[in-house]
Amino acid sequence: MPSFFNTWLPFIYLYGVGGFFFLIGMIIIRKSGALDMSKKKHRFWYKVLIFGFFYFVVMHALLIVAALYW
Amino acid sequence: MDLEKFHNIGTSTDWIVMVVYFIAIMLFGTYFGRYNRSTKDFFFGGRRFSWWLISFSIVATGVGSHSFIKYSAKGFEAGFSSSMTYMNDWFFVPFFLFGWLPIIIYTKIRSIPEYFEKRFSPSARFLATVLLLFYMIGYISIGFLTLGKALLPMLPTDFTLFGTHFEVTLMGVVIVIAIITGIYITFGGQTAVIFTDLLQGFILLFAGFLIFIIGISYIGGLGLFWDMLPTEWKLPLAHFNEPSSFNFVGIFWQDAIAGSIGFLFMNMGLIMRFMATKSVNEGRKAATFNILFMLPLSAIVVSNAGWVGKAISVEFPDIIPPNTDPDQIFVVVANVIASPGVFGFVMAALTAALMSTVDTLINATAAIYINDVHRPIKKFLKQLSDDAKTTDRKELFSARVSSVIITLLGVLGVLAFRDFPTVYEAHGYFHSTLTPPLVIAIFMGIFWKRFTPAAVIVTFIGGIALMVLGANYPALLIKPFAHGTPMDESHPFSYIRALYNLFVCFAVGYIAALTTGYQKKFVGWVKTKSNEKIIVYSMLTFSIFLFVGLVFSSSLISLHPESYLEIFIFVLLSLVMSAMVTLLVTYFVKYDPVANTLGLTVYSLAEAKEMFKGSKINDKEGEKIKVHWKFKEGDEDIIYFSKNDMKRMQAEAGDLVYLSDARKWMGGLKSVHSVFGEPHQEDGIVYITSENMQQGQFVKGRILRAEKEM
Repeated sequence: MPSFFNTWLPFIYLYGVGGFFFLIGMIIIRKSGALDMSKKKHRFWYKVLIFGFFYFVVMHALLIVAALYW
Repeated sequence: MDLEKFHNIGTSTDWIVMVVYFIAIMLFGTYFGRYNRSTKDFFFGGRRFSWWLISFSIVATGVGSHSFIKYSAKGFEAGFSSSMTYMNDWFFVPFFLFGWLPIIIYTKIRSIPEYFEKRFSPSARFLATVLLLFYMIGYISIGFLTLGKALLPMLPTDFTLFGTHFEVTLMGVVIVIAIITGIYITFGGQTAVIFTDLLQGFILLFAGFLIFIIGISYIGGLGLFWDMLPTEWKLPLAHFNEPSSFNFVGIFWQDAIAGSIGFLFMNMGLIMRFMATKSVNEGRKAATFNILFMLPLSAIVVSNAGWVGKAISVEFPDIIPPNTDPDQIFVVVANVIASPGVFGFVMAALTAALMSTVDTLINATAAIYINDVHRPIKKFLKQLSDDAKTTDRKELFSARVSSVIITLLGVLGVLAFRDFPTVYEAHGYFHSTLTPPLVIAIFMGIFWKRFTPAAVIVTFIGGIALMVLGANYPALLIKPFAHGTPMDESHPFSYIRALYNLFVCFAVGYIAALTTGYQKKFVGWVKTKSNEKIIVYSMLTFSIFLFVGLVFSSSLISLHPESYLEIFIFVLLSLVMSAMVTLLVTYFVKYDPVANTLGLTVYSLAEAKEMFKGSKINDKEGEKIKVHWKFKEGDEDIIYFSKNDMKRMQAEAGDLVYLSDARKWMGGLKSVHSVFGEPHQEDGIVYITSENMQQGQFVKGRILRAEKEM
């Protein structure tokens, strides 16, 4: 079985540090008004942005699980 | 271990297929060259295309630059983790979609340095131009190096022509490729590049999956392939910090952070594609679709030859030896599993895609040259007396000449990267070293209103001085940032140096911006002195002396590589120099924190949109309508609809309109942006002028689709 350094640590670091940058980005675009939630199109884009983040989280998690147990 | 290198791979059938493919692609591109009517069209494709067209045309650029060669090499060495750089770009998408993308479109900037002039000062633009040209030419060099490495295994070691003996070398192959690339790009332009890349995007995906399917079938099926690979090889992310040549944490900072911002924010080739979309919303769709769906698919397409090669080398080491040169594995695997002709097609698709990347970059670099070197020089020499059409013709000629010169510089740049063990490491080192100052400068400029010209210039100058110190003394300066990554003496911290470089650039810029008040007080005090000029010019001379001394310190003084005291003195001198640069910029540069940020930061996008339109924004959502067109005398840029049609579109005279051929599959090729004129009474009819007709290249009798933009 590969070590933690080879399996979940990179995953946690990727979405921990990367997630921090993503969160900062979401806060800045909302606070600045660049993403205006009163507009229908922007509400759609807000959902797309959140979806995209978890889409990659789930994809990487599934790939790690498949490599380890499948 | 000696690496096994291959030569003379392929048959004459493969070469015939490759030549035919290249001629077909060049003819295809030349056809679309007729859509270039000005430098605007040559570089930007006229801001008219649909999201899907741009998204697929980006595939060839993305796949080409993050090439089959380097990812197959890492796939062969490390397994599925070769795909990780294709799936780590989402973190900066919010910044891009709702920050940089609307700014570049609404402010109508033609190049990144132009943004630096508007946001900061002409001196910031000058420094950004120099750094960006280095970045772009370095990227072109990497492209040429990859192309050379792709073709070398197919060529003999030497040959005799007219009694003269020639050895086939990497540089020789690169020069021949550069000549072919240069000829193509100088006659095509952006519209040609978009359409050839669109075609090649489809072909590349097809060729990549073809290799995967044939490869899996050659091994004996997906189950056997999966079982052959050890568990470590199936993991999607590399080991956290080992080995130095391929580790997760280094590649995270080099690619997911510096690379992603670099790719989205300062890769002019990519940015020009987004600027060619018909609207900001279409640009968002193109970027999102590309990152969510096309990049993961591309990861499989570019890496799978390495994975298949590994599986074959485990089971049949006599067919593919485990010590095969990783940079040759794609070509070797394709040749082993594909029949003659199919191999030629795959190689043609690969090399043509790489050429697309290089073409896009050359085109983009020429745009920077025209906008940020040629025009400012002409303005300085006051040679702008020609009429607009003559100026445009001359600039188009200069763009073509500069493309040739940039191609030559790209070839010379190959010399700097050819000694790295693989293209992957060369590219990693390149990204870690050249992107941080620009990445920090652009990013802080867009997202922090308090970022001043002094801060941006010290990010460049102070950042570079500290980066050079890091490069010269990695064991002392970069190691604390290395997360336990081992140091390779020949290429120290190729990837994780990105974290150190980002940190020093950010730190000097951040401190400079925070201390703006103190700088103004100091400048105010200097201005009260009778010997003001002497103080200022002494500081300037001393700063230049320090900068040159620090940059060339390793050539001038031989220090012990682990002497803390000496490095401390050098770092201190860098900070003193940075402080003086900050004060000098505050003294010399006129900066209005309101005017210089209006429409240029994420905090004033509404104003940027109004400036783009030239009047109040009409945000009412209307319908898209279909209309027949009629010709109207005159050459003004105005389009006339009926009163009822304008009501359906919720449009008023003076609003912006986008008119395109109603056939959606054309993706906006035949389209025009214009302004609503005063309404008439004929419903379903639009009156357009000869200027609109020429721009849109509309066909008589064809129905058009109209929509209000804003």
